[in-house]
Amino acid sequence: MNRNEYMAALRRALSVLPEEERASALRYYEEYFDDAGPENEQEVISDLGAPEKVAEQILADYRELTAVPRQNAGGTAEKNKRGRRGVPSWLLVVLVLLAIPVGVPLLGGLAIGAAGTVFGILVAAAAAVFAFVVVIPLGLLIAGIALCGFSFALWGTPASAVVTLGCGLALFALGVLATLLMIKLCTLLVPPLVRGLVAVIRWFIEKLRGRTRSNGGGMQ
Amino acid sequence: MSYPVSSSLLDGIVLAVVERESTYGYRITQDVQRVLDISESTLYPVLRRLQKDGCLTTYDEAFAGRNRRYYKITEHGRAQLRQHRIDWQNYKSGIDSIFFGG
Repeated sequence: MNRNEYMAALRRALSVLPEEERASALRYYEEYFDDAGPENEQEVISDLGAPEKVAEQILADYRELTAVPRQNAGGTAEKNKRGRRGVPSWLLVVLVLLAIPVGVPLLGGLAIGAAGTVFGILVAAAAAVFAFVVVIPLGLLIAGIALCGFSFALWGTPASAVVTLGCGLALFALGVLATLLMIKLCTLLVPPLVRGLVAVIRWFIEKLRGRTRSNGGGMQ
Repeated sequence: MSYPVSSSLLDGIVLAVVERESTYGYRITQDVQRVLDISESTLYPVLRRLQKDGCLTTYDEAFAGRNRRYYKITEHGRAQLRQHRIDWQNYKSGIDSIFFGG
């Protein structure tokens, strides 16, 4: 490898550098060869080492040099980050303020909706229970009485009248049984249900009170 | 035995060489190589860095039918060199006190 080949290899190896940087490095080594003298050309080449190694050193140092502005950039990035971290504090206030007109009705609506849903379910459940407990026995009783009354209108064909009266009496009896069953069920189920409901409400209130108490303790 | 040369020590050495007289890359390399076992290719990045840091400036002077680039120390470079001398003195006396007793 002669000087020209060495410099060409160095130029190639430095191709990633900006033009000014590359020109500066190449000029330095051109001069280095000049100052060493043509008689020392091979010695300089062997002393400098592979052009790729020389280039690597220059590139590494250039990266380090440009790393100084990069550090500054990091500083501004950090500042930006700090700024970004700062933004949410006021942004949060703005968002909260903006959220109040929307959020409060929304939350209120949700709360009312939830309460309404619970109330609706309770009413539906009560209605179902009412239907089950009251309508079925009452319906059976009324149907029985009605059939008994209707049987008197059928005395023209006694067999039909007797069958109808029998059915009516049977339905009445079923109604009475159903009523007694429902009364029994209510006396069995209602007290524990009420007790359970009271227990749940009491537990809930206790929990709320306990939380505010512990909060108060924490503040002292 | 040779000790690794830190880049800041090399900066100080190059500044001291250039302070004596404005000089060019090949000469600086020869001068530093007289006392330190450094590669021929070590000094260009150092000179370039010192130039970028404003410690050195360059100027061209005609020599043997071509332009030779000379390095010249700046005021900032001199201030840096003063600090290097202080740091080196402290470093040296610290090592000396251990090597040869305080």
